[in-house]
Amino acid sequence: MSLIRKVFLTEILQGLALTLKKMLFAKPVTIEYYDKVRPKPYSGFRGRHALVRDPETGDTLCVACLRCAKVCPSQCIHIEYEVDKEKGKRKVTKYEIDALRCVFCGYCEEVCPVNAIVLTEYYEYIGFTRRDLYFDKERLLKNWDEFIAKESRPYLNPFWKPRGIPEKRLPVKKRQFTGV
Amino acid sequence: MSLALEINKKQLNEDSWEEPYFINMGPQHPSTHGVLRLLLQLEGETIVGCDPIIGQLHRGVEKLAENLNYNQAIVLSDRLDYIASAANNIAFALAFEKLMGLKVPRRARLIRTIVCEMARICNHLLWLATHALDIGAMTVFLYCFRDREWLLNIFEKICGARLTHTYVRVGGVRLDFTQEIIDDLYKFTEEFPNRIPDYETLIDINRIWLKRTKNIAVVSAEEAINLGLTGPCLRGSGVPYDVRKFRPYDAYDEVEFIVPTGKNGDTYDRYRVRMEEMRQSNYIIKQCLDKLPETEGEPILAEGAPDLLMPKRLKEPKPMPVPKKGVVFRGADKPIVPVGEAFAAIESPKGELSVYVVSDGSSNPWRLRIRTPSFVHISAIPELTKGHMIADLVAIIGTLDIVLGDSDR
Repeated sequence: MSLIRKVFLTEILQGLALTLKKMLFAKPVTIEYYDKVRPKPYSGFRGRHALVRDPETGDTLCVACLRCAKVCPSQCIHIEYEVDKEKGKRKVTKYEIDALRCVFCGYCEEVCPVNAIVLTEYYEYIGFTRRDLYFDKERLLKNWDEFIAKESRPYLNPFWKPRGIPEKRLPVKKRQFTGV
Repeated sequence: MSLALEINKKQLNEDSWEEPYFINMGPQHPSTHGVLRLLLQLEGETIVGCDPIIGQLHRGVEKLAENLNYNQAIVLSDRLDYIASAANNIAFALAFEKLMGLKVPRRARLIRTIVCEMARICNHLLWLATHALDIGAMTVFLYCFRDREWLLNIFEKICGARLTHTYVRVGGVRLDFTQEIIDDLYKFTEEFPNRIPDYETLIDINRIWLKRTKNIAVVSAEEAINLGLTGPCLRGSGVPYDVRKFRPYDAYDEVEFIVPTGKNGDTYDRYRVRMEEMRQSNYIIKQCLDKLPETEGEPILAEGAPDLLMPKRLKEPKPMPVPKKGVVFRGADKPIVPVGEAFAAIESPKGELSVYVVSDGSSNPWRLRIRTPSFVHISAIPELTKGHMIADLVAIIGTLDIVLGDSDR
């Protein structure tokens, strides 16, 4: 370090000049969250859970195949169902997700053969008790209504029909799916 | 507790004031980067002995993985080194693919390389921010986080998560890139090299920074190898060892890059190595992006890759000939996971991360062993701190770039 640089603190002045430049001319990168700016996550953000409401029947699309409950790494999905003996179809009686256990990997929406479950792009949710974040079926359907009211239809989550996965690997309903 | 009482008792006794005394640093100290506890033996302000005590963040990832199938185990890998989780995903996936003998398509390999390098830049930016903050340079912290935010936003577009990506799956990746993401990444690679000089202007020749980092924790090349250091810590000592060059995985054999090395092996050299690595990472991303259009339309999942949901137990098919013991069948008579073992190592941002997996043929790994760089680096702290002042300890912990989630697993 030469004497001039030592005496006049040039490198520190350079740093200060950069800071001053950024202060005067650069746009702020911080945002005033909640009051002014509420950032909208990109499509496919893995946020609050919801069960898709079938527009025809007004109930969930779920067929109780239990694939989501099996694939869940944190085992946070609990399903109970009954079998309709006349039609031979399963009907969900209980569908519960413990959001506090969930790790938001999105495996459940990827394996669901009928695209009934979704991790919506809604992220601003809280609960004052553990019970508030233990979503039962009614709550999950309500989550969907709250979410889809602000979305443009048809809505297609990227994880329902992953881009680039060969079509033959997908179940039939997913191949023809274009959104709800 | 008893040890603490004993120390307290000893320190109250006036006769023992001349002896070295013990002090506890952490586990709630902000500069220990997590829950690292250091039992220091001090003589005045000089460190005579140092005993790192880890295990406060132990979650038993290796054991948990034995009860999950291969794709589910990748979810756990996000929580190891949570700053660069994409790199951990790749290490796990590589080991599992080696075990199953899958051939990953070129597009998936290129995408993985891009994601891995993005994770490296993310990690080094966060490292620089916290390291500089520990030493006392506040402004760098703000600039680094500004740029890291940019990358995290791109990650959010790619896979829908900002930190725990779970983007890689066995046999490929989960979602393909869109044109929007590629455009974003191009914009980033063009702009980012102009951002690095900003950080360098602030600290590179700053006299305080030089005094705090030059000749601190000097490790010679031989010593670094003996201590088991890997990654930038080893390269800072002048050993040009990089898994990406020596045992290329994914698409690293297609791209060209320089392995930066230091000379003296002190904290400053390791800082220089990491800064240079960020430039090289940026260059690698650019090369991979240029190659992506060649593979347009290719699938991103290997032929015969297992589904996310694998049957947990073997259903022995009755009419078919007797299969080998413990072979998983998917649909027809196709074995997915053979009995055997596999090992894969990658150059994670912190050092060499390797995964060893033993399979008994079921859908769960029989045993999973992870060698994480942070664990080895923490074991080097006593050697590096000897004879330094207590204020330098913060710089030494910073320069090793440890994450306690990585070391405690």
